[in-house]
Amino acid sequence: MGETVENTAFNIEYKPRTGSEAMCEALLDEGVEFLFGYPGGAIMPFYDALPDYPLKHVLVRHEQAAAHAADGYARATGRVGVCIATSGPGATNIVTGLATAQMDSVPLVAITGQVGRPALGKDSFQETNVMGMTLPFTKHSFLVEDPDELYPTVRRAFEIARSGRPGPVLVDVPKDVQFAACNDNGYRRLREFPQPPAGPSLEAAAALLRKAKKPLILAGHGVTLSGAEMELRLLAERTGTPVVATLLGISSFPEDHPLYIGWPGMHGSASVNRAIDESDLLFAVGMRFDDRITGAVNKFAQNAKVVHIDVDPSELGKVIRPTVGVAADAKLALRGILGHFEETGDDCAEQRSQWREEIAKSQEPEKRREEEARSKYGPIRIMDAIKTIAGDEVRLVTDVGQHQMWAAQFFEFTKQNSHITSGGLGTMGFALPAAMGVAFAYPDEPVWVVAGDGGFQMNIQELATIRDFGLNIKVAILNNGYLGMVRQWQQFFHNRRYSETPITGPDYEKFAASYGLAGKTVREGDDVEAAIQWAQDQKGCTILDFHIDPEANVFPMIPSGMSVKEMIEESESSAAYGGA
Amino acid sequence: MAGHNTPRHATGLRPEATLNPVEVRISGGMLALNRFLMTLQNKRMPVASFTVGREGDSEAMRATILLDCPPEAARRYTTLLSALEDVQEAEAAAETMEVALLKVGGEAWREAATRAGIVAHEENGTVVASGATREMAAWLAGIREDVEDVVRLGPVARPTGEA
Repeated sequence: MGETVENTAFNIEYKPRTGSEAMCEALLDEGVEFLFGYPGGAIMPFYDALPDYPLKHVLVRHEQAAAHAADGYARATGRVGVCIATSGPGATNIVTGLATAQMDSVPLVAITGQVGRPALGKDSFQETNVMGMTLPFTKHSFLVEDPDELYPTVRRAFEIARSGRPGPVLVDVPKDVQFAACNDNGYRRLREFPQPPAGPSLEAAAALLRKAKKPLILAGHGVTLSGAEMELRLLAERTGTPVVATLLGISSFPEDHPLYIGWPGMHGSASVNRAIDESDLLFAVGMRFDDRITGAVNKFAQNAKVVHIDVDPSELGKVIRPTVGVAADAKLALRGILGHFEETGDDCAEQRSQWREEIAKSQEPEKRREEEARSKYGPIRIMDAIKTIAGDEVRLVTDVGQHQMWAAQFFEFTKQNSHITSGGLGTMGFALPAAMGVAFAYPDEPVWVVAGDGGFQMNIQELATIRDFGLNIKVAILNNGYLGMVRQWQQFFHNRRYSETPITGPDYEKFAASYGLAGKTVREGDDVEAAIQWAQDQKGCTILDFHIDPEANVFPMIPSGMSVKEMIEESESSAAYGGA
Repeated sequence: MAGHNTPRHATGLRPEATLNPVEVRISGGMLALNRFLMTLQNKRMPVASFTVGREGDSEAMRATILLDCPPEAARRYTTLLSALEDVQEAEAAAETMEVALLKVGGEAWREAATRAGIVAHEENGTVVASGATREMAAWLAGIREDVEDVVRLGPVARPTGEA
């Protein structure tokens, strides 16, 4: 039982009595609204304290879903997502979620119960070294063995998760520590304001951008994480520079803007990849030159100088050696660079009209092919119809695979931060639980999940959670009866030996009904728009099972480790875009 | 008797290699050290040598790493390490020295040490020697006939203020 102490962050007084209560107090003081979790033996004291606090707990059906839901919530809001699990299998089940968050720099705090201190290291029931197993893919982790350290540790975990380059933080709490009395709960928030970048590096970056004849801005997830969308748009407009978004950078720049040209890489537009190849300056903001973007690094953008802005200085030079590296928050850096263009008043936007026309011309064949495919049953038409019917406010959460690429290619993202997907880790089963996090954050806005029939089945149990909370999530399954992306690779690189990629599933219409949800099967010849309108009009979660061409492929494709020169643009026999 | 963590240039494996010494102060005990080592492995840092010891009387640890890569890459790795929560400080070390413990027959080692610039003394039958890594390697090679056993503790950054 501790004395009354001052919460230095908010100047309120409280008397936490146990470790569990201290944990709840810390969560409240961090402004946490939702916890996604699943109880178990070693986290029971925390769950016992929980009902006494105004924290909304979402009981998921699998701990992995708790981590993904917290991740989706964090991506959609920019706030720290929180998930809770017990020791042993509960903790191991969140591991994929932590790795997913780490790869995509998502702020997350995971609290796990642990066996009591006397039982640690004795192979006790449900004991596992979750700290040890998550060391490579957490930003930091704590095992709290002193009850007095619980409150400050949880608070510190939030600070670490959201500061600098965000990431997941694990707090592992032995059961007896949750029970124990706390004596000291003080915590002084150390607000870390991002440091403005050095003037000379900004000046050098601005000078390169001013001089370039064929510049491209490469916008990554860092733009969204730092809230630099406006600065990005201003810089693009003032300099007339075409904008390319990485997979996680999609929706950081409106896709209906004339300066937006698409996304690059393995399945990016051919015209964008060629533009990168032609470019004399890549102005990269908050992105990390992932191998899915560069392909063969030694052949990537050989004509280009590189300005690389990233909040994580260790990213500068990791893959591509920048001509000018700026280790800074994207928003601050872009503001600084914008200042240089305001001051000089030069009009480089006009000078780049020829470059923009060149790109536009190279996009014409793609646009014609897209337009043709849009009129036929298949992924492009489905994406198009969802956007048209769900409207500009829709947030699209995609799983991993072919459908993810089709969504990135053909869904027109115009709303800021409306594209949510697992990019770095490529976690199948991510979309449905992540959409729950998004729907809790924005209950009045439309949320659509686009998933394949493989990934959807990986966390399908969360339909129960969705039903329990009446979440208005619409699901479009692009069902080709295959693990489609793997099948595509087998087709291209393994002589069509479709080893273990054909996959079955339930009748999703009946499956939805068994959860008390509405569902509909859509096949070629059915009215796609009418089905989507029907789903949109239903109350609550609805599942549309679109049966698409089993051998629909994602084009173009740069084979792994190759360059734009080896890009595959046509298939010899299979239907590109699922119907063209 | 050189251990697997002996720097490459000291063993003559790759005399041309650029070894960049980095000194790191770590707090947080074994868990922190575990995380630190995991980061070295996870990021595939080109570690030619890793030596760790306790810093003074405190619980903090001090590690000296030799990174076998261009200086620019070493700076990037140092930045990455310095961002770890448990790392109090990470910086390029100006100079490293090596400590070795030996069981030696005879007394020839004394004169050889003086000639090689190695500081050495005997303590309870164990010779404690310190000096620059290259000189240490040369000295050990010169007296190898007399050496019964040797433990090389690896290169460490010289304590601050000591040239």
